[in-house]
Amino acid sequence: MSRRPAVNYLEDEFSSDSYSEEEFPKRRKKVNKKKAQSAMDEIKKQNKDTKFEEDELIEIPLDRPSDFIPDSVSKVFGSSDFSYLKLKPDHASRPIWISPNDGRIILESFSPLSEQAQDFLVTIAEPISRPSFIHEYRITAYSLYAAVSVGLETDDIISVLNRLSKVPVAPSIVNFIRSATISYGKVKLVLKNNRYHVESSQADILQMLLKDEVIGQLRVKSDTLTTTSDGLVRTNKPKSDGLVIAGTAAPASDNSITNTFNTAIGSDPFEDKVEEDDEDEDDDIDKVHSFEIASESVEIVKKRCQEIDYPVLEEYDFRNDQRNPDLDIDLKPSTQIRPYQEKSLSKMFGNGRARSGIIVLPCGAGKTLVGITAACTIKKSVIVLCTSSVSVMQWRQQFLQWCTIQPENVAVFTSENKEMFTGDAGLVVSTYSMVANTRNRSHDSQKVMDFLTSREWGFIILDEVHVVPAAMFRRVVTTIAAHAKLGLTATLVREDDKIGDLNFLIGPKLYEANWMDLAQKGHIANVQCAEVWCPMTSEFYQEYLRETSRKRMLLYIMNPTKFQACQFLIHYHEQRGDKIIVFSDNVYALQEYALKLGKPFIYGSTPQQERMNILQNFQYNDQVNTIFLSKVGDTSIDLPEATCLIQISSHYGSRRQEAQRLGRILRAKRRNDEGFNAFFYSLVSKDTQEMYYSTKRQAFLVDQGYAFKVITHLHGMESLPNLAYSSARERRELLQDVLLKNEDAAGIEAGEDSENMIGGGVSKRVRSGGQSSSATRTTGSLAGLAGGEDMAYVEYSRNKNKELKEHHPLIQKMYYKKKR
Amino acid sequence: MPRAIKGALVKCDPSIRALILKIDAESHDIVIEELDDTHLVVDQNRIPFVKAELARILAQNSYNPLDEDEA
Amino acid sequence: MSDSSNLLKTTVNDYLENLPESVHNKLYQSSITCLAIFRLLPSLAKFYVMSLLFNEHSVSYIDLTRWIRPDNMTHLVSSSTKSSSSSAVTNFPGAIGKNKMYQNECLKRLKQLNLIKDVRKQWTNPNTGQLTNVVVLQLNPMFRKNFRNALTGSQMSNDLNNDIEMTDVEEVSEEFLDRYSLMKWENILHFMVGSEVPELPSIGVLSLLRHSGLMDIGEENEFIATPKRFKGDNMDLKSMKITQDGFQFLLQDINAQIWQLLLQYLRMSEKLMMNPVDVLNFIFMLGSLELGKQYPVTLLSDTQVIMLEDLVDYGLIYYPEKNRYFYPTRMATTLTSEKTTFKTASMSMNQVLEGGPEVKDHGSIVLETNFKLYCYTTSPLQIAILNLFVHLRTRFANMVTGMITRESVREALRNGITADQIIKYLETHAHSQMKKLAEEKLLKKLEFDSNATETQQIGSQVKLEVIPPTVVDQIKLWQLEMDRLQTFAGFLFKDFANAQEFEQLANYADEVGVMLWRDDDKRKFFVTEEGIGQLNDYANRLKRHRA
Repeated sequence: MSRRPAVNYLEDEFSSDSYSEEEFPKRRKKVNKKKAQSAMDEIKKQNKDTKFEEDELIEIPLDRPSDFIPDSVSKVFGSSDFSYLKLKPDHASRPIWISPNDGRIILESFSPLSEQAQDFLVTIAEPISRPSFIHEYRITAYSLYAAVSVGLETDDIISVLNRLSKVPVAPSIVNFIRSATISYGKVKLVLKNNRYHVESSQADILQMLLKDEVIGQLRVKSDTLTTTSDGLVRTNKPKSDGLVIAGTAAPASDNSITNTFNTAIGSDPFEDKVEEDDEDEDDDIDKVHSFEIASESVEIVKKRCQEIDYPVLEEYDFRNDQRNPDLDIDLKPSTQIRPYQEKSLSKMFGNGRARSGIIVLPCGAGKTLVGITAACTIKKSVIVLCTSSVSVMQWRQQFLQWCTIQPENVAVFTSENKEMFTGDAGLVVSTYSMVANTRNRSHDSQKVMDFLTSREWGFIILDEVHVVPAAMFRRVVTTIAAHAKLGLTATLVREDDKIGDLNFLIGPKLYEANWMDLAQKGHIANVQCAEVWCPMTSEFYQEYLRETSRKRMLLYIMNPTKFQACQFLIHYHEQRGDKIIVFSDNVYALQEYALKLGKPFIYGSTPQQERMNILQNFQYNDQVNTIFLSKVGDTSIDLPEATCLIQISSHYGSRRQEAQRLGRILRAKRRNDEGFNAFFYSLVSKDTQEMYYSTKRQAFLVDQGYAFKVITHLHGMESLPNLAYSSARERRELLQDVLLKNEDAAGIEAGEDSENMIGGGVSKRVRSGGQSSSATRTTGSLAGLAGGEDMAYVEYSRNKNKELKEHHPLIQKMYYKKKR
Repeated sequence: MPRAIKGALVKCDPSIRALILKIDAESHDIVIEELDDTHLVVDQNRIPFVKAELARILAQNSYNPLDEDEA
Repeated sequence: MSDSSNLLKTTVNDYLENLPESVHNKLYQSSITCLAIFRLLPSLAKFYVMSLLFNEHSVSYIDLTRWIRPDNMTHLVSSSTKSSSSSAVTNFPGAIGKNKMYQNECLKRLKQLNLIKDVRKQWTNPNTGQLTNVVVLQLNPMFRKNFRNALTGSQMSNDLNNDIEMTDVEEVSEEFLDRYSLMKWENILHFMVGSEVPELPSIGVLSLLRHSGLMDIGEENEFIATPKRFKGDNMDLKSMKITQDGFQFLLQDINAQIWQLLLQYLRMSEKLMMNPVDVLNFIFMLGSLELGKQYPVTLLSDTQVIMLEDLVDYGLIYYPEKNRYFYPTRMATTLTSEKTTFKTASMSMNQVLEGGPEVKDHGSIVLETNFKLYCYTTSPLQIAILNLFVHLRTRFANMVTGMITRESVREALRNGITADQIIKYLETHAHSQMKKLAEEKLLKKLEFDSNATETQQIGSQVKLEVIPPTVVDQIKLWQLEMDRLQTFAGFLFKDFANAQEFEQLANYADEVGVMLWRDDDKRKFFVTEEGIGQLNDYANRLKRHRA
């Protein structure tokens, strides 16, 4: 270890304020010399100038072989020139390259082996981009954790990678896989016959744990099971044993991944040896070792294991759980589940137990059905937590629609409903906030909470996990005792920084679907994406350049050209027979646009009844073809009628929001009509920050293979009848209005359902966007979890609410009149 | 008697014009005359500076995916 | 045949056509040159030459046109000429109007090369005995004589192919020559794309690159408009950067590239008072030499010996022992052949290096909608070319990855490469998978469009889109972004006393075409830098007039 020489020269320099200007350079020189001298002395004192023999020197293994001669273009790639990795003779038939320095995997998706390779890679690596031809994945510590937790062994991972790879897998990658998997997923906590067992296939790890000062004492000596000489219980490794996932024909199996490989690739010349070795050890591999701990020490053991880097995987052996009563629930015979839904569930139930984890499916790809099917497989009491009361009702309705559960066994816990089921087992649907909120609970809701916390749940479904702040999650997960946890989301994108939390609070990512693949197979709609460039009018742009960043936002959202583009697109698509949703994060703009265009709108303060009314009209009334939605519509409002989205203002560079919004049209009813396309427009004001955010927002979708067409000019816009702001006077008036607006108007909507879910995330983003976040917003957010009432709205929201009530029927009337 | 003033005629869209005026407001003596929405007369020696500033400002409005990718 | 080899023929022919008749006649004294020039002709022109060559009687223009079926002449031509150019047949446009145009074009060519001449003759109709004036075509007698010699092999003047006893001559394999020439040639191309090269090309090569406009002395900064320097010293030449033309040059196949440089060499040699006939004869002669054979220097003229040494720099000649003998490389021997043996530099490089079956160079680039680019390549040259407009990231033994970004494209645009060139490059090198998908999409679209009754899709164009259209658009938009501001040096006129004074001057500026901007209401206008003198003169004249 080298210690920095402790030379205090700072003091020297800063105490020199008594020196005149001319003297300073001289003095400085002296100081510098002194500094250098003392540093040299210090170094000499500390380190001896020993001569080492050649073989004493440590050789740092370079990835590059010593005989590698860089050529004329090597320099371009810096340390990423791996041309020295020699190709295998049959490289053409192998589909991947692996980059030795960052674990990036590049896959030829047109390879005959591609489908199997994708199944494998999505298990062991994070998908980065999956467009048409070449896919990229990255091996990370988390992805390996996930791989191990679904039952893959270190050697299998390396061996399959080697089979797929065009070049031998670099030692750096092999080492990384080994080091990351050495401790992950090795220890499992299993509830069996109502007793907790710490389980591992490697006896030495359990021995190590037993020697641990904390865990060792917590072991319970088993009286019923025979122990081996080492004090461990030896049993057979869990197998799927013919467990059939509800709605599927074949039993779930873990080995599908490696098996496909053996059949598809055949044995690899490079791997023959490894396989033979494996056979000898077969005996050992099929056995697992365990010791028992008391239920009250579960938390301590989990915590301790985490501390010593052997995080515990939780598995629920629900078939052997006799303590918790079974729930009478099964999929209706008419319910069909799709291949990818089955695939994702097979990752969950691969060894006949339920693994906790997260399944990532695009919006509209049937996440709900995956959750329901899992519940039907486990058949124990279930609790579902979602983000808003609207989606609570949707979940309830979906359960009743897809499976046989009796309505009396389904309870809903929201601010409006505080039911409980009466039987031994049942289903509860609620929101995160209802469960996590500890303040000001009413008597009724406290009663429900006591009910929820007092019992053991077989299964908990956590909807839209990506929007829940970690703190709230922790509270939920610790208050409700559930054996198996399933997180559902459409986008587990990196900006969250929450992946780490989710990994340990819920479990690893079990499956992530390929968007383009689903679209091609008709499971989700094909979408044409476009970014419409709206030049700022001169007056708006001049003000834009003058204003602070907060006001700037308002100016680029209210850009008259953007308004005109919005008007034109609505007109165009209504003519085509589309149903249109216009999204605006900014409530001021939302109302200005909607009022001027005479369209209904919904935002955080819109009362539940009115929301339902508008949504129903949008669904069934052919006179209402366009609605405006604030962030409330980002998630969980299910509108299969919508075929066109127009985005006029959004949340900075949030890739997640972009994906969620796109998700609103992915389940379009008409998606299987031949040649059907849904449309997704982002309107951006040219030469403003919005351009930056817009490209950034698209990054996730673009990596999924979506292509955003830039539209620089909308043909025919200028000649649209009744085009708004077509005169300079109107534009000037609009500008005056905008300039008079309080800065707060530029803010994002506060205090409504989905907003509050992002609570922590929002204030962080806002800050990074150069603004200060207000405490009001956060508290308002949390309160808003209650489902849209008794929230601490900031002042303007309340006023707007009133305004809305006064205006709304009028708009409706005017609107219908105009249409006829 | 008319005057003839040496300079560079700049032809651009209104946004670029506004940006040039902003640059002028911050570092002075660039714009000689504002002609109309799409034309300015600018000190010829300052053209390189104006172009560099414009490139810098416009680059701020464009997102570079590599910024994050390789971080 | 590829576009670029047609382009090559046009450029060589253009050069030849513009030579004076005296030079033509001197050139036609060499049978080898006659043969080479013949090879460069379009197929129909070849056919005309062949039909005139052994026909002792002159042929009337009418007869010539009659030999061609107006609807489909391809059959006739390909069967009646012995030329090996079956590939050229595809060049025949099918349309009747085009046939006629093509025919006229060929005749014009032949005339410009002074290969044929119109001669008016009187002709007696055997049936009526009537005398009429007809136009007959005559082949240039000099060409006729020497081209016949070339074909019959009877008298090859200036021929190096005669076996000359050579002793203690180095054994050189064709493979060695291929390697050698490609190394030389690629070194030049590498230099052009800015790769680090082990050995700088010679000053002769560098100045040729500069004079042909393929490279230019880079300006320090895109924003600092340094006055164009006219003479560059050697240091400047070494720091040259590729130009738009240079990039275009890279996209051509190697034969076209060599010709382009040779033509530039010809133009420079004229300035250096080298005899163009000597120079051209030597170039054409090279095309008739045999690969792998050595030839004595003694048979060359002084001019040709100088040239020989210059051509060593381009890899056309292997010249191991000064003043004794030399070897033409494949690049030289295929100069006038119809089939381009070298498709592109990198492709032949692959062939040479790997010695394996032809590596498909065409179809190596995969470009995704997320702007990521993957190129299957082992060629440092191709990587260097990509590096001109792609942010390259990782390199594997047979593939490189990168991304097309705003910055990488702007850098290319600043170097003068155009968006269209980038797109064209990507298109021509697109991977077969991309082409396949594009074709499938097109078919689907066509099918859908024909089924659809009332479709009204936004911009439903029907064309093959190999490169993702969004990427194509974006590259073009990046180029537009560079052109958002145009500047013109000049003078602003203002403070006019009255409308009449304004109008007089402004109208005059308009008339002489120096006006860049005017506003009658504000009484201001802006004229070009060049216009100020004229305007001052005019103003003074007006003043004098008034006075």
